[in-house]
Amino acid sequence: MPQLDTSTWSITILSMIITLFLMFQLKVSKYYFPEDPKPTLAATPKPVTPWEKKWTKIYFPLSLPL
Amino acid sequence: MNENLFSSFITPVMMGLPIVIVIVMFPSIMFPSPNRLINNRLISIQQWLVQLTSKQMLVIHNQKGQTWALMLMSLILFIGSTNLLGLLPHSFTPTTQLSLNLGMAIPLWAGTVITGFRYKTKASLAHFLPQGTPLPLIPMLIIIETISLFIQPMALAVRLTANITAGHLLIHLIGGATLALMNISAPTAMVTFMILILLTILEFAVALIQAYVFTLLVSLYLHDNT
Repeated sequence: MPQLDTSTWSITILSMIITLFLMFQLKVSKYYFPEDPKPTLAATPKPVTPWEKKWTKIYFPLSLPL
Repeated sequence: MNENLFSSFITPVMMGLPIVIVIVMFPSIMFPSPNRLINNRLISIQQWLVQLTSKQMLVIHNQKGQTWALMLMSLILFIGSTNLLGLLPHSFTPTTQLSLNLGMAIPLWAGTVITGFRYKTKASLAHFLPQGTPLPLIPMLIIIETISLFIQPMALAVRLTANITAGHLLIHLIGGATLALMNISAPTAMVTFMILILLTILEFAVALIQAYVFTLLVSLYLHDNT
Protein backbone atom coordinates (compact mmCIF):
# COMPACT_ATOMS: atom_id res chain seq x y z
CA MET A 1 0.00 0.00 0.00
CA PRO A 2 1.73 3.21 -1.08
CA GLN A 3 0.54 5.15 1.97
CA LEU A 4 2.86 3.05 4.13
CA ASP A 5 6.00 4.04 2.24
CA THR A 6 7.67 6.15 4.90
CA SER A 7 10.24 7.78 2.64
CA THR A 8 7.75 10.46 1.59
CA TRP A 9 6.29 11.00 5.05
CA SER A 10 8.60 13.83 6.08
CA ILE A 11 7.91 16.01 3.04
CA THR A 12 4.16 15.42 3.27
CA ILE A 13 4.02 16.31 6.95
CA LEU A 14 6.21 19.36 6.38
CA SER A 15 4.02 20.67 3.57
CA MET A 16 0.90 20.03 5.65
CA ILE A 17 2.32 21.94 8.60
CA ILE A 18 3.18 24.90 6.38
CA THR A 19 -0.27 24.89 4.78
CA LEU A 20 -2.37 24.34 7.85
CA PHE A 21 -0.53 26.39 10.42
CA LEU A 22 0.70 29.21 8.18
CA MET A 23 -1.30 29.78 5.05
CA PHE A 24 -4.79 28.88 6.17
CA GLN A 25 -4.44 30.61 9.52
CA LEU A 26 -3.11 33.77 7.89
CA LYS A 27 -6.13 33.83 5.58
CA VAL A 28 -8.73 33.08 8.22
CA SER A 29 -7.20 35.54 10.71
CA LYS A 30 -7.91 38.32 8.21
CA TYR A 31 -11.63 37.62 8.30
CA TYR A 32 -13.34 40.55 9.92
CA PHE A 33 -16.76 40.31 11.45
CA PRO A 34 -17.89 43.83 12.30
CA GLU A 35 -20.31 44.26 15.15
CA ASP A 36 -23.82 45.50 14.57
CA PRO A 37 -24.05 49.29 14.76
CA LYS A 38 -25.09 50.41 18.24
CA PRO A 39 -27.37 53.44 18.77
CA THR A 40 -25.38 56.31 20.30
CA LEU A 41 -26.52 59.68 21.70
CA ALA A 42 -26.56 62.47 19.16
CA ALA A 43 -26.05 65.21 21.78
CA THR A 44 -22.44 65.68 22.92
CA PRO A 45 -21.83 66.16 26.65
CA LYS A 46 -20.69 69.57 27.90
CA PRO A 47 -16.87 69.77 27.75
CA VAL A 48 -15.32 69.83 31.23
CA THR A 49 -13.08 72.85 31.86
CA PRO A 50 -9.82 72.07 33.66
CA TRP A 51 -10.72 73.88 36.87
CA GLU A 52 -14.03 71.99 37.14
CA LYS A 53 -12.32 68.59 37.02
CA LYS A 54 -10.88 68.90 40.50
CA TRP A 55 -12.96 69.89 43.49
CA THR A 56 -10.74 72.24 45.44
CA LYS A 57 -11.07 73.41 48.99
CA ILE A 58 -11.90 76.98 48.05
CA TYR A 59 -15.37 75.96 46.79
CA PHE A 60 -16.56 74.88 50.21
CA PRO A 61 -18.84 77.73 51.35
CA LEU A 62 -17.81 77.37 55.00
CA SER A 63 -14.13 77.72 54.11
CA LEU A 64 -14.59 81.00 52.24
CA PRO A 65 -12.98 83.93 54.03
CA LEU A 66 -16.27 85.92 54.22
CA MET B 1 -4.17 -5.06 -11.14
CA ASN B 2 -3.03 -4.50 -7.55
CA GLU B 3 -0.38 -1.99 -8.49
CA ASN B 4 -2.71 -0.15 -10.86
CA LEU B 5 -5.46 0.22 -8.29
CA PHE B 6 -3.33 1.94 -5.68
CA SER B 7 -1.31 4.03 -8.09
CA SER B 8 -3.36 7.16 -7.44
CA PHE B 9 -2.25 7.10 -3.80
CA ILE B 10 1.48 7.32 -4.45
CA THR B 11 2.91 10.65 -3.33
CA PRO B 12 3.37 12.56 -6.58
CA VAL B 13 6.93 13.24 -7.63
CA MET B 14 7.58 14.84 -11.00
CA MET B 15 11.10 14.34 -12.35
CA GLY B 16 12.51 14.03 -8.86
CA LEU B 17 10.80 17.16 -7.53
CA PRO B 18 8.31 16.59 -4.75
CA ILE B 19 5.30 18.40 -6.15
CA VAL B 20 3.26 17.12 -3.23
CA ILE B 21 4.16 20.42 -1.55
CA VAL B 22 2.38 22.35 -4.30
CA ILE B 23 -0.60 19.97 -4.20
CA VAL B 24 -1.02 20.28 -0.44
CA MET B 25 -0.82 24.08 -0.67
CA PHE B 26 -3.21 24.31 -3.60
CA PRO B 27 -6.57 24.44 -1.71
CA SER B 28 -5.50 27.63 0.05
CA ILE B 29 -5.71 29.40 -3.33
CA MET B 30 -9.46 28.76 -3.24
CA PHE B 31 -9.76 31.04 -0.20
CA PRO B 32 -8.60 34.56 -1.13
CA SER B 33 -7.78 36.77 1.83
CA PRO B 34 -10.01 39.78 2.38
CA ASN B 35 -8.19 43.05 1.77
CA ARG B 36 -10.97 45.58 1.31
CA LEU B 37 -13.61 47.02 3.55
CA ILE B 38 -16.33 45.57 1.28
CA ASN B 39 -15.12 42.37 -0.36
CA ASN B 40 -16.26 40.56 -3.45
CA ARG B 41 -18.94 37.88 -3.40
CA LEU B 42 -16.62 34.91 -3.11
CA ILE B 43 -14.85 36.21 -0.04
CA SER B 44 -18.12 37.36 1.51
CA ILE B 45 -19.73 33.95 1.03
CA GLN B 46 -16.69 32.17 2.50
CA GLN B 47 -16.60 34.58 5.40
CA TRP B 48 -20.29 34.00 6.08
CA LEU B 49 -19.80 30.22 5.99
CA VAL B 50 -16.87 30.46 8.39
CA GLN B 51 -18.95 32.59 10.73
CA LEU B 52 -21.83 30.10 10.60
CA THR B 53 -19.54 27.13 11.25
CA SER B 54 -17.56 28.80 13.99
CA LYS B 55 -20.68 29.88 15.87
CA GLN B 56 -21.98 26.33 15.69
CA MET B 57 -18.75 24.77 16.80
CA LEU B 58 -17.56 27.14 19.49
CA VAL B 59 -20.77 27.51 21.42
CA ILE B 60 -19.90 24.57 23.71
CA HIS B 61 -16.54 25.97 24.74
CA ASN B 62 -15.65 28.37 27.52
CA GLN B 63 -13.28 31.32 27.22
CA LYS B 64 -10.19 29.14 27.25
CA GLY B 65 -11.48 26.79 24.60
CA GLN B 66 -12.53 29.58 22.30
CA THR B 67 -8.91 30.62 21.82
CA TRP B 68 -8.71 27.57 19.57
CA ALA B 69 -11.25 29.10 17.15
CA LEU B 70 -8.68 29.98 14.47
CA MET B 71 -7.14 26.53 14.62
CA LEU B 72 -10.44 24.68 14.37
CA MET B 73 -11.72 26.84 11.52
CA SER B 74 -8.58 26.49 9.43
CA LEU B 75 -8.64 22.75 10.16
CA ILE B 76 -12.16 22.27 8.87
CA LEU B 77 -11.45 24.45 5.83
CA PHE B 78 -8.26 22.55 5.03
CA ILE B 79 -9.75 19.07 5.32
CA GLY B 80 -13.01 20.01 3.58
CA SER B 81 -11.36 21.74 0.63
CA THR B 82 -8.72 19.00 0.25
CA ASN B 83 -11.37 16.27 0.24
CA LEU B 84 -13.61 18.09 -2.22
CA LEU B 85 -10.76 18.83 -4.64
CA GLY B 86 -9.78 15.17 -4.46
CA LEU B 87 -13.05 14.22 -6.11
CA LEU B 88 -11.86 15.66 -9.42
CA PRO B 89 -10.68 12.94 -11.80
CA HIS B 90 -7.00 12.07 -11.76
CA SER B 91 -6.31 14.36 -8.80
CA PHE B 92 -4.20 13.46 -5.81
CA THR B 93 -5.91 13.74 -2.43
CA PRO B 94 -3.44 14.54 0.34
CA THR B 95 -5.82 13.35 3.06
CA THR B 96 -5.50 9.79 1.77
CA GLN B 97 -1.95 9.84 3.08
CA LEU B 98 -1.68 8.38 6.57
CA SER B 99 1.37 10.58 7.16
CA LEU B 100 -0.60 13.79 6.73
CA ASN B 101 -3.47 12.65 8.92
CA LEU B 102 -1.16 11.43 11.66
CA GLY B 103 0.72 14.71 11.42
CA MET B 104 -2.56 16.55 11.97
CA ALA B 105 -4.10 14.30 14.60
CA ILE B 106 -1.19 13.72 16.96
CA PRO B 107 -0.14 17.35 17.56
CA LEU B 108 -3.73 18.56 17.91
CA TRP B 109 -4.71 15.77 20.31
CA ALA B 110 -1.48 16.20 22.26
CA GLY B 111 -2.19 19.93 22.46
CA THR B 112 -5.59 19.36 24.02
CA VAL B 113 -4.24 16.80 26.51
CA ILE B 114 -1.30 18.97 27.54
CA THR B 115 -3.62 21.97 27.94
CA GLY B 116 -5.78 19.88 30.24
CA PHE B 117 -2.78 18.72 32.25
CA ARG B 118 -1.42 22.21 32.70
CA TYR B 119 -4.58 24.00 33.72
CA LYS B 120 -6.79 21.38 35.34
CA THR B 121 -4.39 18.63 36.38
CA LYS B 122 -6.67 16.93 38.86
CA ALA B 123 -9.73 17.05 36.63
CA SER B 124 -7.88 15.72 33.59
CA LEU B 125 -6.43 12.85 35.61
CA ALA B 126 -9.88 12.19 37.04
CA HIS B 127 -11.11 11.35 33.56
CA PHE B 128 -9.36 8.02 33.90
CA LEU B 129 -11.82 6.80 36.50
CA PRO B 130 -15.55 7.25 35.89
CA GLN B 131 -17.76 7.87 38.90
CA GLY B 132 -19.26 5.04 40.85
CA THR B 133 -17.03 2.17 39.74
CA PRO B 134 -16.86 -0.83 42.07
CA LEU B 135 -13.53 -1.10 43.90
CA PRO B 136 -12.22 -4.37 42.36
CA LEU B 137 -12.69 -3.01 38.85
CA ILE B 138 -10.53 0.09 39.35
CA PRO B 139 -7.10 -1.17 38.11
CA MET B 140 -8.57 -2.70 34.97
CA LEU B 141 -10.66 0.38 34.27
CA ILE B 142 -7.66 2.68 34.55
CA ILE B 143 -5.83 0.53 32.02
CA ILE B 144 -8.81 0.60 29.70
CA GLU B 145 -9.22 4.37 29.99
CA THR B 146 -5.51 4.92 29.31
CA ILE B 147 -5.69 2.78 26.20
CA SER B 148 -8.79 4.59 25.02
CA LEU B 149 -7.06 7.92 25.56
CA PHE B 150 -3.98 6.98 23.59
CA ILE B 151 -5.96 5.49 20.79
CA GLN B 152 -7.78 8.79 20.13
CA PRO B 153 -5.16 10.31 17.77
CA MET B 154 -4.68 7.01 15.97
CA ALA B 155 -8.42 6.67 15.48
CA LEU B 156 -8.68 10.24 14.20
CA ALA B 157 -5.96 9.72 11.62
CA VAL B 158 -6.96 6.25 10.48
CA ARG B 159 -10.66 7.18 10.29
CA LEU B 160 -10.00 10.01 7.87
CA THR B 161 -7.47 8.06 5.80
CA ALA B 162 -9.62 4.96 5.53
CA ASN B 163 -12.84 6.77 4.66
CA ILE B 164 -11.38 8.89 1.89
CA THR B 165 -9.19 6.08 0.51
CA ALA B 166 -12.10 3.64 0.49
CA GLY B 167 -14.33 6.12 -1.29
CA HIS B 168 -11.74 6.80 -3.98
CA LEU B 169 -11.05 3.09 -4.46
CA LEU B 170 -14.76 2.38 -4.89
CA ILE B 171 -15.08 5.12 -7.49
CA HIS B 172 -12.09 3.69 -9.37
CA LEU B 173 -13.43 0.14 -9.25
CA ILE B 174 -17.01 0.92 -10.21
CA GLY B 175 -15.85 3.29 -12.94
CA GLY B 176 -13.62 0.59 -14.32
CA ALA B 177 -16.47 -1.91 -14.13
CA THR B 178 -18.80 0.45 -16.01
CA LEU B 179 -16.21 0.90 -18.74
CA ALA B 180 -15.62 -2.83 -19.06
CA LEU B 181 -19.35 -3.60 -19.12
CA MET B 182 -20.11 -1.16 -21.94
CA ASN B 183 -18.89 -3.58 -24.59
CA ILE B 184 -20.61 -6.55 -23.01
CA SER B 185 -24.12 -5.35 -22.22
CA ALA B 186 -25.27 -1.71 -22.32
CA PRO B 187 -28.18 -1.92 -19.77
CA THR B 188 -25.86 -3.41 -17.12
CA ALA B 189 -23.44 -0.62 -17.83
CA MET B 190 -26.26 1.90 -17.31
CA VAL B 191 -27.07 0.35 -13.94
CA THR B 192 -23.43 0.48 -12.97
CA PHE B 193 -23.30 4.08 -14.12
CA MET B 194 -26.23 4.93 -11.87
CA ILE B 195 -24.36 3.33 -9.00
CA LEU B 196 -21.37 5.49 -9.88
CA ILE B 197 -23.45 8.66 -9.81
CA LEU B 198 -24.95 7.77 -6.44
CA LEU B 199 -21.50 6.96 -5.13
CA THR B 200 -20.14 10.30 -6.27
CA ILE B 201 -22.95 12.12 -4.48
CA LEU B 202 -22.10 10.08 -1.40
CA GLU B 203 -18.48 10.99 -1.73
CA PHE B 204 -19.30 14.69 -1.78
CA ALA B 205 -21.15 14.23 1.46
CA VAL B 206 -18.37 12.10 2.92
CA ALA B 207 -15.78 14.71 2.04
CA LEU B 208 -17.55 17.34 4.05
CA ILE B 209 -18.67 15.02 6.82
CA GLN B 210 -15.19 13.70 7.46
CA ALA B 211 -13.86 17.21 7.79
CA TYR B 212 -16.63 17.98 10.22
CA VAL B 213 -16.10 14.83 12.25
CA PHE B 214 -12.37 15.40 12.56
CA THR B 215 -12.81 18.95 13.72
CA LEU B 216 -15.69 18.06 16.01
CA LEU B 217 -13.70 15.39 17.76
CA VAL B 218 -10.71 17.66 18.26
CA SER B 219 -13.12 20.20 19.67
CA LEU B 220 -14.58 17.57 21.97
CA TYR B 221 -11.19 16.56 23.26
CA LEU B 222 -10.57 20.24 23.81
CA HIS B 223 -13.81 20.60 25.73
CA ASP B 224 -12.84 17.80 28.05
CA ASN B 225 -9.58 19.49 28.80
CA THR B 226 -10.41 23.18 29.23
